Amino acid sequence: MIDQKKARLLALAGMIIFVSTIAVLLARQFNFVPERPSPEFRTFGPAGAPVQIYEYTDFACPACRHAAGKLDEMVKVFGQGLRVSFKHYPLLNIHPWSLHAAAYADCAGAQGKFKEYAALLFEGQESWGAARAEGGEPKDFAAYAGKLGLDWGKMQACSNDPETLKILKLDIAEAELKGVNATPTFFVNGKRAVGSGQLIDQAQKFDNLLRKAAKP
Amino acid sequence: MSAKPETKELIGLLSRLAVAGVFAYAGLMKALAPAEEFAYAIESYKVLNAQLSLYAAYVTPWIELWAGLLLAAGVFTRANALFAGAMLLFFEVMLGQAWLRGLPITSCGCFGSGGSNSIGVEFAQNLVFLALAWAAYKFKSRWSADSYAETL
Repeated sequence: MIDQKKARLLALAGMIIFVSTIAVLLARQFNFVPERPSPEFRTFGPAGAPVQIYEYTDFACPACRHAAGKLDEMVKVFGQGLRVSFKHYPLLNIHPWSLHAAAYADCAGAQGKFKEYAALLFEGQESWGAARAEGGEPKDFAAYAGKLGLDWGKMQACSNDPETLKILKLDIAEAELKGVNATPTFFVNGKRAVGSGQLIDQAQKFDNLLRKAAKP
Repeated sequence: MSAKPETKELIGLLSRLAVAGVFAYAGLMKALAPAEEFAYAIESYKVLNAQLSLYAAYVTPWIELWAGLLLAAGVFTRANALFAGAMLLFFEVMLGQAWLRGLPITSCGCFGSGGSNSIGVEFAQNLVFLALAWAAYKFKSRWSADSYAETL
């Protein structure tokens, strides 16, 4: 028989374990978790900007393409007030080449042209995004690299590097931890927004901060 | 000359809280981050393969968090201090073997993605916490759930 003292301590231990577990799970769900920084080449805007946006994106997703345009407009309007960091969340079940696209975009970033390569991926997403998994890698990836004067050999080596895949997998794991299940998903100063409509709504909540920072 | 009972109690309490704080903080930081991040750190010790590293990364943060909180509250203090000491000893062995083999450990994985010191510094830090865990085990304190339960 467990004596009364032990029973009390066991009950207290159970309560501590239960409450702490629930608290951590809630903190994950409600995004009290600090964002992992994106690599430099995927981050745009001043580090001290009052509004920080993290976007989980998939290069084959049409809504992400639309959102990219909106984000570019916002950066133009609110310049100093905004910092945008991109994170990859390729929806592999519907877009078989998204992971490759994300890896190539990062490898283009390593050569200083993430933004340009990403723009071409969005522009041509109907071509490479619709390619079937069995048909071999779409030639578009190499064509975009050629268009931007990137070293394709280096990009291929980089995309096969386990370190590149590791960074992509961490982005995906982080998205899943935060309950991201659609693209584009944004976190505007920690507040979730799905799609460019919600992004604008969330950004409007920080309108004062944005305008104040944008003033010359 | 032996220390006064109050001094011993105070040493026990402070040691317990220090070890508990480190465990709870380390566990929390890792439980709030993707398990893959910690798994990559475990993999770099070249003891477990990728799959086992991932399993370890799922489980370890929770164990650290719970052990830290239970130790802070002083629930089954001696058993918990012993357990924390055993974990610290295990971490020490992991760090030691990586140090001896000259493995390029960039992040020890101790506190999630937060920066980490060199292996040598981490090794020395762990030794200090091992000593504190021993003190928490050795010196019983009245400021604990264990002692409170005795008075009820």
